[in-house]
Amino acid sequence: MASIVSVNSLSVSYRSGGRDVPVVHEVSWGVAEGRTLALVGESGSGKSTLAGTLLGHLRHGSRITDGSVHVDGKDVFALPARELRRLRGTTVAMVAQNAGHALTPSMRIGRQIEEVGGDVPVLDLLEQVRLPRPAELARRYPHELSGGQQQRVAIAMAIAARPKVLVLDEPTTGLDVVTQRSVLDLIGALRDELGLAAVLVSHDLGVVARMADEVTVLRSGRVVESAPTRRLFTAPQDPYTRRLLASVPRLDDAGLALVGETGEREIRPRAVLSPEAEVAVSARDVTIDYGSSRAVHGVSFDVRRGEVLALVGESGSGKSTLAWTLAGLRTSSGGTMIHASGDLARLAGKRPLDLRRRVQLVFQNADTSLNPRRSVGDAVRRPLRFFGTVQGRTQAAARARELISDVRLDPALADRLPAQLSGGQRQRIGIARALAGGPDVLIADEITTALDVSVQADVLRLLDDLRRERDLACLFISHDLAVVRGIADRVIVLRHGVVVEEGPTEAVFAEPGHPYTRQLMAAALEPDPDARPLAADVADWADAAEPDSVWTDHGHGHRVRRWRPVTTDGTVPTERTVTTEGVA
Amino acid sequence: MLSFVARRVGAAAGTLVLSSVIVFLAVQALPGDVATQILGKDATPDAVAALRGKLGLDQPAWERYAHWMRGALHGDFGASLVSSRPVGGEVATYLGNSALIALVTVLFAVTGSIVLGIVAGLNRDRWPDHLISTVSLVGMSVPEFVVATVLVLCFSVALPWFPAVVLYGPEASAGRLLPAVWLPALALAVVMAAYIVRMARTSVIDVMASEYVTTARLKGLSTWRVVTRHALPSALLPTLHVIALNVAWLAGGVAVVENVFNYPGIGKLMLSSVQNRDLPVIQAIALISAVIYVVCNLAADVGAMALNPKLRTGGRTR
Repeated sequence: MASIVSVNSLSVSYRSGGRDVPVVHEVSWGVAEGRTLALVGESGSGKSTLAGTLLGHLRHGSRITDGSVHVDGKDVFALPARELRRLRGTTVAMVAQNAGHALTPSMRIGRQIEEVGGDVPVLDLLEQVRLPRPAELARRYPHELSGGQQQRVAIAMAIAARPKVLVLDEPTTGLDVVTQRSVLDLIGALRDELGLAAVLVSHDLGVVARMADEVTVLRSGRVVESAPTRRLFTAPQDPYTRRLLASVPRLDDAGLALVGETGEREIRPRAVLSPEAEVAVSARDVTIDYGSSRAVHGVSFDVRRGEVLALVGESGSGKSTLAWTLAGLRTSSGGTMIHASGDLARLAGKRPLDLRRRVQLVFQNADTSLNPRRSVGDAVRRPLRFFGTVQGRTQAAARARELISDVRLDPALADRLPAQLSGGQRQRIGIARALAGGPDVLIADEITTALDVSVQADVLRLLDDLRRERDLACLFISHDLAVVRGIADRVIVLRHGVVVEEGPTEAVFAEPGHPYTRQLMAAALEPDPDARPLAADVADWADAAEPDSVWTDHGHGHRVRRWRPVTTDGTVPTERTVTTEGVA
Repeated sequence: MLSFVARRVGAAAGTLVLSSVIVFLAVQALPGDVATQILGKDATPDAVAALRGKLGLDQPAWERYAHWMRGALHGDFGASLVSSRPVGGEVATYLGNSALIALVTVLFAVTGSIVLGIVAGLNRDRWPDHLISTVSLVGMSVPEFVVATVLVLCFSVALPWFPAVVLYGPEASAGRLLPAVWLPALALAVVMAAYIVRMARTSVIDVMASEYVTTARLKGLSTWRVVTRHALPSALLPTLHVIALNVAWLAGGVAVVENVFNYPGIGKLMLSSVQNRDLPVIQAIALISAVIYVVCNLAADVGAMALNPKLRTGGRTR
């Protein structure tokens, strides 16, 4: 088979502070017609830079120092400007990472697709990417579409001129699992239908296992390993690849996976919670409104000391709203939230100092939640002084260094600014800052979402260590069921602000009772090319909860919100009690 | 969309009412009695009382405000204390002369500086950018009367192309004033353009680095199309408000420059009225300045709506 893309010992450098910083070193790879190659790596691996070179695109300040890129027989970086423009779009097209940012906000969708200049009518394209009511959609602006719809529009734009190669730069990062699944299915179908060669850039090994024929693993701008997908996932050769694969949390892990330097995987058994463990936070029928729309409807739960309770759901499920309300950053509009030492219904500023100290929030994004102009030591020191945990300047500094080493960082980092740390280090500082007051409740709002998979494994391990050492009650917010599986003792699944299922982690994962839970599990992608994703068993369902019988109880605290299946023709089958086997 | 415009117009009207009250109160708070001021220190108390009655100064403040506002809405701002002529007509004459300068300034400064800003932004870190940025920075740092004086030295004294000062009165026709307009307009434009150039440059750089511009480039579109269709609508958005503020600033900026050139415009009238304590004229000019500020900002808001569909569709999502 002929190679449609071939990259030959390519080196790219970035000019910074008067010297060249190499970002890609002598990398070679190729893609045959109709095949899909995945470029896999963590942040800083140079994978997106490589993807851009296929379209002759380099970031401001970058340049090719050696090697060449050929697409469809043409040397991309030797093409005159006019021909390079023709190459883009008609021979090779790109689907960018974040469609929300990749679509021009001031232009209608239809116009943006049209100007690519293919022969296919815009409405046919919109239909091809399975968007409903294409005629109406074409007249909309990007901000009037959901994230999944925006990504579909970006795909329509990429295939408009019928290119031969499709470059997909993290096409589903930032989408919900269920949306991700449907977008990947669409990409797969279009690729086969149009006979496209594809280059998939991703950090997500689950996505890669599902989509790629071959995989090239990159690290710091060098190729670590290249292999056909099945061989790479079943018999990885390089220790880095092994470690990367081992770091991915699985849906069937019975506890937290501890990953060794060379990729050995050891499952740490769950912490055993003493039955006498004291309840740290007790929430009853909590309701939260955003103006006139209700974000959280009557959610109740208890978290005990030493326990990790996970709140799981897609974006818009109200899980972060709930977390922020518990932390005192928003007010609830109904229900009660009680901490052992006070009422959590009040905003943080109105809570007594002691209560404020005991309930702490770790933010999703450590980059933006730390003051960029203060040293990280300072960030940890301030709550120490504020809560009066230590007296005096020198003592506070010493305690801050202690806390920094408690989160497994070198205390010498205390003098650095946040920008001088890596993403994982910053998130650890975020945790150290939260620990400074000596809390007994820690609210972790998607704290690993922005991290690379190997860093995520380390941070999860840290969190698990800390709750054991300090007997912390931890509320762990996540959209990723596989992550939750390893760390949480109990799980609450939220959908549109309503709890649909809750129970001990083992029970919920072994016998998910609600179709929405099953849908989430089915959408989670395992890093295994042979994994048959679970099919969502019920196409559609309706809520069947009644005031006096909201739940179906499965014992041991595992309960499922009542529901009934709805058939596609709109009729409602006879109501029945739904068992854990689902609907026959 | 209509409700957005309606709210903005409502806010603008409210701002105007408030500023008219402030203008009125500020003038009232000036020390000294107007009647004594007019008649001189040696006037008899009877004469002062008679004049006070004639001017309506013996009525309560709110009634005088209501009377003033009622007149102002009909274009009647009372009579000048100096010339006894109607303030409305006098202000209108001078305002017309200033508008000539303002028009020329806005026309050249705004279009010129937007173009320069875009050129600088597109050529980031290359020589056109360095040249434009440096020159505009110098323009920003030098006060307008210095710029005006330098311009007079260069283009009236060294090269006698334009008149250094205007020798006509306020009643001169636009055609006679036209040769005298260029230097004041240029002086104002230099100062004003600096802000707009820098703002346009920064936002063009930001937008050109955005993901949607990269996507548009990678679609294989020509640079011209990428810039005009994808980048400019968003890049002009923040610039719009800077332009509005600068156009409004002209109302004050002309005062200084007009005095340098002895140009019979509103700035000159304002200065002489302050010196003569001609309160009705000061009041009228202050109110007109407020109107100019409010109208400029309203125009910018409506312009922003034209460029940003999020505002037009009322923030509707999904």
